[in-house]
Amino acid sequence: MQELFGLSMTLLMAILLAIFLGIMAVVGFLAWRHRIMLRLGLRNIPRRPAQTVLIVVGSMLSAVIITASFATGDTISSSIRNASVEGLGTVDEILTPARGAEDFRSAYIDSSRFDRLQQELAGFDDIDGMTPYISETAPTLNLRASLSEGQARIVAPDPDTLQGFGQFTLLSGQAYPLDSLPPGGVLVNEETVDDLDAQVGDTLRLFLQEGFVDLRVEGVVQNGGLAGVNPTILMPLGAAQSIYGKEGRINTIAISNRGGNVSGVDLSHDVATTLRIHFADPQVVEELKLLLSTPEILTLIEGQEAGLTGDQKEELGILRQELVRPEVSNELIRVISDEDVRSGVMDALADGGLTQAEDEADTLFRNLSEMNVFEAKRFFLDLSDQAASGVTALFILLGLFSVGVGVLLVFLIFVMLAAARRTEMGMARAVGAKRSHLVQMFIFEGTAYNLVSAALGVTVGLGVGYLIVAATNQILGGTSDEFEFAFTFELRSAIVAYCLGMIITFATVAVSAYRVSRMNIVEAVRGLPETVTATSEGTLSERLLGVVKAAVRPILFLFAAIKDLLGGRFLGTLRYLAGAAIWLLILPWLADVAVALVRFAWPYVLRGWLTIILGMLLILGGAGPWNQAAPFVIGATFVIIGAGLLLRHAIFRWSSLATLPGLLTLTGGGVLLIYGIAIGSLTDVLIGPVLIAIGAAMFLTGWSNSGNLRPEFIDRLAFTFIGILNLAWWVLPFDTLEPVIGTLDSDIEMFFVSGVAMVAAAVWSLMYNADLLLKALTFLTSGIGKLRPVLVIAVAYPMSAKFRTGLTLAMFGLVIFTLIVMSVLTDAFGNTLADTDSVTGHWDVEMQVNPSNPIHDIESSLADVTQLPPSTFDAVGGFVTAPVAARQADADSPRWKNFSIQAVDAAYLDATEYDLHLIAEGYGPTEEDVWQALRDNPNLAVVRYFAVGDSGQEEFGASSSSFRLEGVSIEDETISPIDVQVLETQTNTQVNYTVIGVLNLVADSEASMIVNKQSVDEALPFPVPVTTYRFRTAPEVDVKQTSRTLESSFLEHGAETVTLKEVIDEEVAVNNAFNNLLVGFMGMGLIVGVAALGVISLRAVVERRQHIGMLRALGYRQGMIQLSFLVEASFVSLLGVGIGVALGAILSFNLVEGFQDQIPGLKFSMPWLQIGIIIAIAYIFAMITTYLPARQAGRIHPAEALRYE
Amino acid sequence: MNGNDYIISANQVFKTYTTGRVHVQALRGIDLHVQKGEMVAIMGPSGCGKTTLLNCLSGLDSTDSGEIFVESMQLHQLPDDERSDYRAQRMGFIFQLYNLLPVLTSVENVEMPLLVSGVGSQEARQRSLEMLAQVGLADWAQHLPAELSGGQRQRVTIARALVNDPAIIWADEPTGDLDSESTQDIMDLLLSLNRENSQTFVLVTHSQEVGEMAHRIVRMRDGQVVDDGLGSVRRTGPMRP
Repeated sequence: MQELFGLSMTLLMAILLAIFLGIMAVVGFLAWRHRIMLRLGLRNIPRRPAQTVLIVVGSMLSAVIITASFATGDTISSSIRNASVEGLGTVDEILTPARGAEDFRSAYIDSSRFDRLQQELAGFDDIDGMTPYISETAPTLNLRASLSEGQARIVAPDPDTLQGFGQFTLLSGQAYPLDSLPPGGVLVNEETVDDLDAQVGDTLRLFLQEGFVDLRVEGVVQNGGLAGVNPTILMPLGAAQSIYGKEGRINTIAISNRGGNVSGVDLSHDVATTLRIHFADPQVVEELKLLLSTPEILTLIEGQEAGLTGDQKEELGILRQELVRPEVSNELIRVISDEDVRSGVMDALADGGLTQAEDEADTLFRNLSEMNVFEAKRFFLDLSDQAASGVTALFILLGLFSVGVGVLLVFLIFVMLAAARRTEMGMARAVGAKRSHLVQMFIFEGTAYNLVSAALGVTVGLGVGYLIVAATNQILGGTSDEFEFAFTFELRSAIVAYCLGMIITFATVAVSAYRVSRMNIVEAVRGLPETVTATSEGTLSERLLGVVKAAVRPILFLFAAIKDLLGGRFLGTLRYLAGAAIWLLILPWLADVAVALVRFAWPYVLRGWLTIILGMLLILGGAGPWNQAAPFVIGATFVIIGAGLLLRHAIFRWSSLATLPGLLTLTGGGVLLIYGIAIGSLTDVLIGPVLIAIGAAMFLTGWSNSGNLRPEFIDRLAFTFIGILNLAWWVLPFDTLEPVIGTLDSDIEMFFVSGVAMVAAAVWSLMYNADLLLKALTFLTSGIGKLRPVLVIAVAYPMSAKFRTGLTLAMFGLVIFTLIVMSVLTDAFGNTLADTDSVTGHWDVEMQVNPSNPIHDIESSLADVTQLPPSTFDAVGGFVTAPVAARQADADSPRWKNFSIQAVDAAYLDATEYDLHLIAEGYGPTEEDVWQALRDNPNLAVVRYFAVGDSGQEEFGASSSSFRLEGVSIEDETISPIDVQVLETQTNTQVNYTVIGVLNLVADSEASMIVNKQSVDEALPFPVPVTTYRFRTAPEVDVKQTSRTLESSFLEHGAETVTLKEVIDEEVAVNNAFNNLLVGFMGMGLIVGVAALGVISLRAVVERRQHIGMLRALGYRQGMIQLSFLVEASFVSLLGVGIGVALGAILSFNLVEGFQDQIPGLKFSMPWLQIGIIIAIAYIFAMITTYLPARQAGRIHPAEALRYE
Repeated sequence: MNGNDYIISANQVFKTYTTGRVHVQALRGIDLHVQKGEMVAIMGPSGCGKTTLLNCLSGLDSTDSGEIFVESMQLHQLPDDERSDYRAQRMGFIFQLYNLLPVLTSVENVEMPLLVSGVGSQEARQRSLEMLAQVGLADWAQHLPAELSGGQRQRVTIARALVNDPAIIWADEPTGDLDSESTQDIMDLLLSLNRENSQTFVLVTHSQEVGEMAHRIVRMRDGQVVDDGLGSVRRTGPMRP
């Protein structure tokens, strides 16, 4: 894999390695300076092996996810790369005639053109082989084995020009020169053996438009190169010319670059450019020169250059110089043939708004070359890199939640480690250790864990990657037996994954270490509970001074260096000089200033008003110039948080305001309820009363307590207000505010933002009102008898340790949330394909025939098949698909873009039952009206869903060069008819269509636009055959049997049939399997939640030793203590799971509701089986991890525990 | 003399602790007998084995040899679960450091022994509130231990020890962490409860003042009883009806 998120992997590795080594150097230096802190930090590791194992396992998750993502990417990259290199062999570029098609299949040129080319390129060193050949496909039957192949490739190169391409090698390893084939003899590749069981001596029958020809197999050669990887029959050029009646003609030229199969690609760009220059039509260059050499356009090109760098800029400069010369120079031909120059010129014309010139230039550029130069190998190698980057990025994105919860776990671990060592750290501080020493101590310990956990993470990640690849092969095994991913992993990826995992964990450790160092020494030494004391925020002038100091830090360093120098403290001088040097790298300086600014503003953020202002700015930006949903909703969250903080501040001053949070919540609920009723939104109507009830409760408690306001009570009021309103805000359907602010743009980031925000708000609200939950549980368990004392403590402990329970809940909640959303959406989208008829247009069987031997009259041909009486079919329709160029008549840019059409016959139009997403005004109201209109008027068309501009990305690889309709949205209720011009590029035939409908998302149309075939027949100078037929069988007819009969009956036409329901079922199965794979991958985050519970339980056993002794003295049995730990872990994990399931269900419901307008058949339902499995796995692992600490707790001896301090 | 004549009876009890390579003989042939309704104070210098004796007598700790009878039963011969049940139903414990569960309110702490004994939750709550009222903490029932003073916390501990109407209350330095005023309050409370309910109290204390309030003082040194106090039994309360 070469790139990730657009960054070169080598550069990424260099940067990460530098950061990693930098960290290690700093840590190493500190360790050397403070060896005692190093010893103090490291001695903790072997003390509690179980805890160490849990910490290492918990912290490795980032590295696991990153490594697994990279491994998957590397495997995809190398597998596609190897397949393309093996498949193409020595062939690097393929040349085909750009125009002059004589029939539907392909254009031929005279062999003499190749001879000329060979002479002209004689001195060109970059090419070491060039061969002209005929490339066709033909339905083929092995007479001995009675096996057929509808699309066997016929490759017939000139045996005299095969130098540079290697030789055709028999399976025995012996070379077989093509010219030694006897007349009527052919070679076949290995694939043909697999498909047709072809053996030496067999007779292969090739069906042609006029009759057939029998050929004898003389040898079986290895796949690859000109022999290809699909079933291929090889013969000398002359033989094919005579079979196809194309004497003296060829349709393809293969080029082999100098160098090996892989290294030759490096020359591909140069070779292609040389060839394009060679094939450039001087007449067209002359016309382009005339068009582009006006002062206005030259200025535009110059302007374009300014925004570019490198070769493209230089080449555009050369173009400008050459354009003003009087004659057409070779240099002009060279630059004008360069694709980068071409795109630069077109962009310049578009930016200048010169529509007319853009149109003309586009046409001229299209006609510039007489041959298409396809850099085949480079294309596939680039594709392999793109696919690998795409898949890696997808896995990393999906793993982000897990990486996030992994970070939370590391934070939690270190907070708990600090709690365990509080007394000794307090003592250390009391005897003179600085805060920085404590930070270092933790960093040493953390770094030791990190180094091991990242290495373990990479190892486990490779295992996970291997499993993903194996699962992918298993999933694809059902659909393709030709291609398999071979697990590969690059060292570079391992280094990147290791460094990244290590850096993420290290950063978390550093932040946690800083936090734990800020303890109260007296409280720590005396083992008193941590009090929430407001940390000194400093006076205004102190904070201001902090900002000024940060702004001039390098100067301060220099002053300090000079001072130390004068004082003879040379080490200090060096230290300050190093500091100045580091700050002058700018980034550290900026970070310093940013931290100082945050410190300056923090008190105002905490008081609420600055938070509100920040929130308002985000809201305005999101709804205004950025038009982005994320800043808008986050801004609103800030406003709610700010309002809560402001209220808290106000209530501290004026206790009479204690009723205000309740009143505001209540009012919010009321407004939502009324609004919900007004716009008919079920969710709003449901959330409104909940807010009213909570608001009323808050109001009443605020009112009744206003005489005796304790700080905890005020916090509770304010933070409940923040939590509940935020939760309500995030669970609102996305379109709630649409009538007010319109539609804002959003992407997958909203999934992450919503997940984090919803779970945080839910956990926040819950933890601030934990006592209510406790009371409810106490009430509910009052009848359980002896279990009750177990339950009471099992719930009381986690609810009192708000921070760690909150973090664990958040971890479980987040992971389960993502899994639920994925499962629900997979299920919902999978179900849209359940209605097979709406997917296929109510067709049952599809039959493809070879265009070289089409069926001229399907009705009469069917009548000849005795096994298929006329009553078999209710309808039969046919079509042909073809790549074309297209542009919209009224669009801003007149440039032709790639498109495809599906030209369907009248019978097809009569019978198709595709549903339409949009129908143009005047052509409805029903689908039948539209199809009838297409039948009556051959210049009408219907486009598929993804041809509409804002319909999202159809498939991987769709690019900006693909045509999309402008000025219409899939969210529209209806459309106006849109004029589209379509260009058949081989013949330069233009046909104009009016688009009057848009197909449903699920329709399986095989091209971007459905048109009446009559329009194509009339426009093109040669007959266009039907290549695909669709059949609707009568009820009671055996579809599979019919499909088989069709295939065998039309063997000589190369018929290959499929039953469409099977195709869809297979697609759904593959989709589901892939989604399950992704769910499994994301589910790795559960490891973190489980590890967190394990760490907490282990810690709890130590912390509660005395309590356990006391409980045992009170009469708790061993089993009861053990059970209380298990129940506690169950309580936390199930609560987290509950939060995740509930919020995941709400978000999925909102998503499904939001998409329902666009995707008919999309229905919300909970896949309970899958969800049950997820919950069971999470719960069982949580119990397994907690069992050991629980057993330890049960075995604590009461007398020892009571003595223990 | 056998176990049937006394509520607590210990004969030749030995106990050795081993920590690493160090062996500490904590109890060396203890003989001790306590009558029902008696309040006995065990005193002695630090490390003389007072707490170990209390733990062994109450069945919290095991012995190396010797016999201990509590209500005519040899607790050490019972399985752990039955011993736990016995503690829940017949014993109460008061510790120097209160050992209240910080995560539960006063009343929840008090009702714990009742819940463990299988008393219904409503009845448990009712009895706990009454017990808290008896120790003067009716208004503090819903407070967490952290919100109470040391004296108040010890009252909660006493309420918890007495709520299930145990036969024996074990108290390890019940006033060790309190000022003199609170100490007097707590001792007054214990004495009045002993008087009213005729329960047996075994106190471990350093404080001569506290010891002198008991019916008798048992003095220990180096793991042995050097004075069982029977020669100078004070009768500050109705030891037996």
